[in-house]
Amino acid sequence: MSTAETFINESGFIRPMEYEFRQNRISFAKELNYLDRFVIDFCEHLSDLKIRFVLVSGYISILFGRSRETEDVDLLVDELSFEEFKGLWDLLSEDFECLNTADCKGAFEEYLRAGHAIRFSRKGRFIPNMELKFKKTSTDGFVMENSIELVLNGLHRLRISPIELQIAYKLYLGSDKDLEDAKFLYELFFDDISHEKLEGFLSWFDEGTRIRFKRIARE
Amino acid sequence: MKPDLEELEKQKKQNAEERLKFIEMYVEWLKKTPNKVWSKQQKEFFGG
Repeated sequence: MSTAETFINESGFIRPMEYEFRQNRISFAKELNYLDRFVIDFCEHLSDLKIRFVLVSGYISILFGRSRETEDVDLLVDELSFEEFKGLWDLLSEDFECLNTADCKGAFEEYLRAGHAIRFSRKGRFIPNMELKFKKTSTDGFVMENSIELVLNGLHRLRISPIELQIAYKLYLGSDKDLEDAKFLYELFFDDISHEKLEGFLSWFDEGTRIRFKRIARE
Repeated sequence: MKPDLEELEKQKKQNAEERLKFIEMYVEWLKKTPNKVWSKQQKEFFGG
Protein backbone atom coordinates (compact mmCIF):
# COMPACT_ATOMS: atom_id res chain seq x y z
CA MET A 1 0.00 0.00 0.00
CA SER A 2 1.44 3.38 -0.95
CA THR A 3 1.70 6.23 1.51
CA ALA A 4 -1.03 8.11 -0.32
CA GLU A 5 -3.39 5.15 -0.17
CA THR A 6 -2.85 4.95 3.56
CA PHE A 7 -4.59 8.28 3.89
CA ILE A 8 -7.66 7.57 1.82
CA ASN A 9 -10.53 7.91 4.27
CA GLU A 10 -13.64 5.76 4.54
CA SER A 11 -15.52 7.66 1.87
CA GLY A 12 -12.68 7.10 -0.56
CA PHE A 13 -11.33 10.64 -0.61
CA ILE A 14 -7.84 11.67 0.32
CA ARG A 15 -7.97 14.02 3.29
CA PRO A 16 -6.79 17.55 2.44
CA MET A 17 -3.99 19.49 4.05
CA GLU A 18 -5.12 20.13 7.61
CA TYR A 19 -4.31 23.09 9.78
CA GLU A 20 -6.10 25.28 12.24
CA PHE A 21 -5.77 28.99 11.60
CA ARG A 22 -6.82 31.36 14.34
CA GLN A 23 -6.05 35.01 14.74
CA ASN A 24 -2.98 34.46 16.87
CA ARG A 25 -2.24 30.80 16.37
CA ILE A 26 -1.73 28.25 13.63
CA SER A 27 -1.65 24.57 14.55
CA PHE A 28 -0.77 21.75 12.24
CA ALA A 29 1.08 18.48 12.01
CA LYS A 30 3.75 17.38 9.59
CA GLU A 31 6.55 14.90 9.21
CA LEU A 32 9.56 16.90 10.36
CA ASN A 33 12.51 17.31 8.02
CA TYR A 34 16.08 18.08 9.10
CA LEU A 35 15.47 21.84 8.79
CA ASP A 36 12.37 21.70 11.01
CA ARG A 37 14.32 19.70 13.59
CA PHE A 38 17.19 22.17 13.46
CA VAL A 39 14.81 25.09 14.06
CA ILE A 40 12.88 23.31 16.82
CA ASP A 41 16.03 22.22 18.66
CA PHE A 42 17.48 25.73 18.50
CA CYS A 43 14.29 27.50 19.54
CA GLU A 44 13.69 25.12 22.43
CA HIS A 45 16.88 26.45 24.00
CA LEU A 46 15.46 29.97 23.74
CA SER A 47 12.17 28.87 25.26
CA ASP A 48 13.99 27.11 28.10
CA LEU A 49 15.52 30.46 29.01
CA LYS A 50 12.23 32.30 28.41
CA ILE A 51 13.81 34.44 25.69
CA ARG A 52 11.23 35.92 23.33
CA PHE A 53 11.88 35.14 19.68
CA VAL A 54 10.17 35.32 16.29
CA LEU A 55 11.02 33.35 13.17
CA VAL A 56 10.84 35.55 10.10
CA SER A 57 11.37 35.33 6.36
CA GLY A 58 11.93 32.28 4.13
CA TYR A 59 11.66 29.47 6.64
CA ILE A 60 7.98 30.29 7.23
CA SER A 61 7.12 29.28 3.67
CA ILE A 62 9.20 26.13 3.96
CA LEU A 63 7.55 25.24 7.25
CA PHE A 64 4.19 25.20 5.49
CA GLY A 65 5.39 23.06 2.63
CA ARG A 66 7.23 25.21 0.10
CA SER A 67 9.60 22.97 -1.83
CA ARG A 68 12.80 24.93 -1.67
CA GLU A 69 15.97 24.73 0.36
CA THR A 70 17.57 27.46 2.42
CA GLU A 71 20.95 27.91 4.03
CA ASP A 72 19.78 30.12 6.84
CA VAL A 73 16.80 30.75 9.06
CA ASP A 74 16.18 34.29 10.29
CA LEU A 75 15.38 34.82 13.93
CA LEU A 76 14.67 37.99 15.91
CA VAL A 77 15.12 38.02 19.67
CA ASP A 78 14.55 40.66 22.32
CA GLU A 79 17.67 42.62 23.19
CA LEU A 80 19.47 40.72 25.96
CA SER A 81 21.94 41.81 28.62
CA PHE A 82 25.40 40.24 28.37
CA GLU A 83 24.62 37.95 31.31
CA GLU A 84 21.44 36.75 29.62
CA PHE A 85 23.26 36.25 26.33
CA LYS A 86 26.09 34.35 28.08
CA GLY A 87 23.47 32.01 29.55
CA LEU A 88 22.08 31.37 26.07
CA TRP A 89 25.56 30.96 24.57
CA ASP A 90 26.49 28.35 27.18
CA LEU A 91 23.28 26.42 26.67
CA LEU A 92 23.54 26.53 22.87
CA SER A 93 27.19 25.44 23.02
CA GLU A 94 26.12 21.92 23.92
CA ASP A 95 24.77 21.35 20.38
CA PHE A 96 25.53 24.42 18.30
CA GLU A 97 28.48 26.64 17.46
CA CYS A 98 28.70 30.25 16.41
CA LEU A 99 30.14 30.62 12.89
CA ASN A 100 31.19 34.24 13.31
CA THR A 101 33.34 33.93 16.40
CA ALA A 102 34.15 31.53 19.19
CA ASP A 103 34.18 34.40 21.67
CA CYS A 104 30.95 35.04 23.52
CA LYS A 105 31.86 38.62 24.46
CA GLY A 106 32.87 39.40 20.86
CA ALA A 107 29.63 37.94 19.52
CA PHE A 108 27.69 40.15 21.89
CA GLU A 109 29.64 43.40 21.56
CA GLU A 110 30.91 43.37 17.98
CA TYR A 111 27.92 41.75 16.37
CA LEU A 112 24.64 41.81 18.24
CA ARG A 113 25.01 45.12 20.04
CA ALA A 114 26.35 46.69 16.84
CA GLY A 115 23.17 45.63 15.04
CA HIS A 116 24.64 42.66 13.17
CA ALA A 117 23.42 39.10 13.11
CA ILE A 118 25.35 36.07 14.31
CA ARG A 119 24.99 32.62 12.84
CA PHE A 120 24.79 29.32 14.66
CA SER A 121 25.01 25.89 13.07
CA ARG A 122 25.02 22.42 14.54
CA LYS A 123 28.51 21.58 15.74
CA GLY A 124 30.81 20.59 12.88
CA ARG A 125 28.37 21.69 10.18
CA PHE A 126 28.12 24.94 8.30
CA ILE A 127 24.59 24.73 6.92
CA PRO A 128 21.83 25.19 7.77
CA ASN A 129 22.45 28.00 10.19
CA MET A 130 20.34 30.20 12.41
CA GLU A 131 20.84 33.89 11.75
CA LEU A 132 20.04 35.52 15.06
CA LYS A 133 19.77 39.24 15.67
CA PHE A 134 18.39 41.53 18.32
CA LYS A 135 15.21 43.41 17.48
CA LYS A 136 16.32 46.91 16.53
CA THR A 137 13.98 48.68 14.15
CA SER A 138 10.38 49.70 14.76
CA THR A 139 9.35 46.99 12.28
CA ASP A 140 11.27 44.40 14.32
CA GLY A 141 9.41 45.63 17.40
CA PHE A 142 6.06 45.37 15.63
CA VAL A 143 6.83 41.82 14.46
CA MET A 144 7.82 40.84 17.99
CA GLU A 145 4.67 42.29 19.55
CA ASN A 146 2.35 40.89 16.89
CA SER A 147 3.90 37.50 16.31
CA ILE A 148 1.66 34.47 16.14
CA GLU A 149 2.08 31.12 17.82
CA LEU A 150 2.79 28.09 15.69
CA VAL A 151 1.98 24.76 17.30
CA LEU A 152 3.66 21.93 15.46
CA ASN A 153 2.57 18.32 15.98
CA GLY A 154 0.87 19.41 19.18
CA LEU A 155 4.27 19.54 20.88
CA HIS A 156 6.51 22.27 19.57
CA ARG A 157 5.68 25.92 20.06
CA LEU A 158 7.35 28.48 17.84
CA ARG A 159 6.61 32.15 17.22
CA ILE A 160 6.36 33.38 13.66
CA SER A 161 5.78 36.69 11.92
CA PRO A 162 2.13 37.44 11.04
CA ILE A 163 1.39 35.88 7.63
CA GLU A 164 0.02 39.13 6.18
CA LEU A 165 3.19 41.02 7.11
CA GLN A 166 5.32 38.19 5.84
CA ILE A 167 3.66 38.41 2.43
CA ALA A 168 4.07 42.19 2.25
CA TYR A 169 7.70 42.08 3.41
CA LYS A 170 8.61 39.39 0.88
CA LEU A 171 7.08 41.53 -1.86
CA TYR A 172 9.12 44.48 -0.63
CA LEU A 173 12.34 42.42 -0.84
CA GLY A 174 11.32 41.63 -4.38
CA SER A 175 13.67 38.90 -5.70
CA ASP A 176 12.13 36.06 -7.70
CA LYS A 177 12.52 33.77 -4.68
CA ASP A 178 10.83 36.31 -2.39
CA LEU A 179 7.96 36.80 -4.83
CA GLU A 180 7.45 33.07 -4.99
CA ASP A 181 7.44 32.82 -1.17
CA ALA A 182 4.86 35.63 -1.04
CA LYS A 183 2.73 33.95 -3.68
CA PHE A 184 2.94 30.65 -1.80
CA LEU A 185 1.71 32.11 1.50
CA TYR A 186 -0.92 34.25 -0.22
CA GLU A 187 -2.42 31.27 -2.05
CA LEU A 188 -2.14 28.84 0.85
CA PHE A 189 -3.79 31.12 3.39
CA PHE A 190 -6.03 33.08 1.02
CA ASP A 191 -9.20 32.12 2.88
CA ASP A 192 -7.68 32.64 6.33
CA ILE A 193 -5.73 35.88 6.25
CA SER A 194 -7.14 39.36 6.75
CA HIS A 195 -6.95 41.03 3.34
CA GLU A 196 -7.56 44.35 5.04
CA LYS A 197 -4.48 43.80 7.20
CA LEU A 198 -2.48 42.77 4.15
CA GLU A 199 -3.51 46.02 2.41
CA GLY A 200 -2.34 47.94 5.46
CA PHE A 201 1.06 46.24 5.49
CA LEU A 202 1.51 46.80 1.76
CA SER A 203 1.16 50.51 2.39
CA TRP A 204 4.13 50.38 4.79
CA PHE A 205 6.46 49.72 1.89
CA ASP A 206 7.33 51.33 -1.43
CA GLU A 207 5.39 51.55 -4.69
CA GLY A 208 7.35 48.60 -6.07
CA THR A 209 5.85 46.43 -3.33
CA ARG A 210 2.35 47.24 -4.54
CA ILE A 211 3.30 46.66 -8.19
CA ARG A 212 4.71 43.26 -7.27
CA PHE A 213 1.56 42.49 -5.28
CA LYS A 214 -0.46 42.95 -8.47
CA ARG A 215 1.69 40.25 -10.07
CA ILE A 216 0.86 37.67 -7.43
CA ALA A 217 -2.68 38.67 -6.43
CA ARG A 218 -5.81 36.89 -7.60
CA GLU A 219 -7.88 38.93 -10.02
CA MET B 1 27.46 35.25 -31.84
CA LYS B 2 26.02 37.95 -29.65
CA PRO B 3 22.99 36.99 -27.56
CA ASP B 4 19.76 38.83 -28.25
CA LEU B 5 19.28 40.50 -24.86
CA GLU B 6 15.76 41.61 -25.66
CA GLU B 7 14.84 38.02 -26.43
CA LEU B 8 16.51 36.78 -23.24
CA GLU B 9 14.78 39.42 -21.13
CA LYS B 10 11.43 38.34 -22.55
CA GLN B 11 12.28 34.73 -21.77
CA LYS B 12 13.33 35.66 -18.21
CA LYS B 13 10.02 37.43 -17.59
CA GLN B 14 8.06 34.55 -19.05
CA ASN B 15 9.98 32.11 -16.86
CA ALA B 16 9.22 34.17 -13.74
CA GLU B 17 5.50 34.20 -14.58
CA GLU B 18 5.55 30.47 -15.20
CA ARG B 19 7.22 29.95 -11.80
CA LEU B 20 4.39 31.89 -10.12
CA LYS B 21 1.86 29.76 -12.00
CA PHE B 22 3.68 26.68 -10.76
CA ILE B 23 3.43 27.91 -7.15
CA GLU B 24 -0.31 28.29 -7.67
CA MET B 25 -0.56 24.70 -8.91
CA TYR B 26 1.67 23.46 -6.13
CA VAL B 27 -0.47 25.11 -3.42
CA GLU B 28 -3.58 23.65 -5.04
CA TRP B 29 -1.99 20.21 -4.74
CA LEU B 30 -0.85 20.86 -1.14
CA LYS B 31 -4.34 21.87 -0.11
CA LYS B 32 -5.84 18.59 -1.22
CA THR B 33 -3.03 16.42 0.06
CA PRO B 34 -2.82 15.07 3.62
CA ASN B 35 -0.12 16.64 5.77
CA LYS B 36 1.61 13.34 6.21
CA VAL B 37 1.90 12.83 2.46
CA TRP B 38 3.19 16.25 1.43
CA SER B 39 5.50 16.58 4.42
CA LYS B 40 6.98 13.13 3.71
CA GLN B 41 7.67 14.23 0.15
CA GLN B 42 9.16 17.49 1.40
CA LYS B 43 11.38 15.56 3.78
CA GLU B 44 12.56 13.31 0.94
CA PHE B 45 13.19 16.37 -1.24
CA PHE B 46 15.38 17.77 1.55
CA GLY B 47 17.17 14.45 1.85
CA GLY B 48 16.00 13.77 5.36
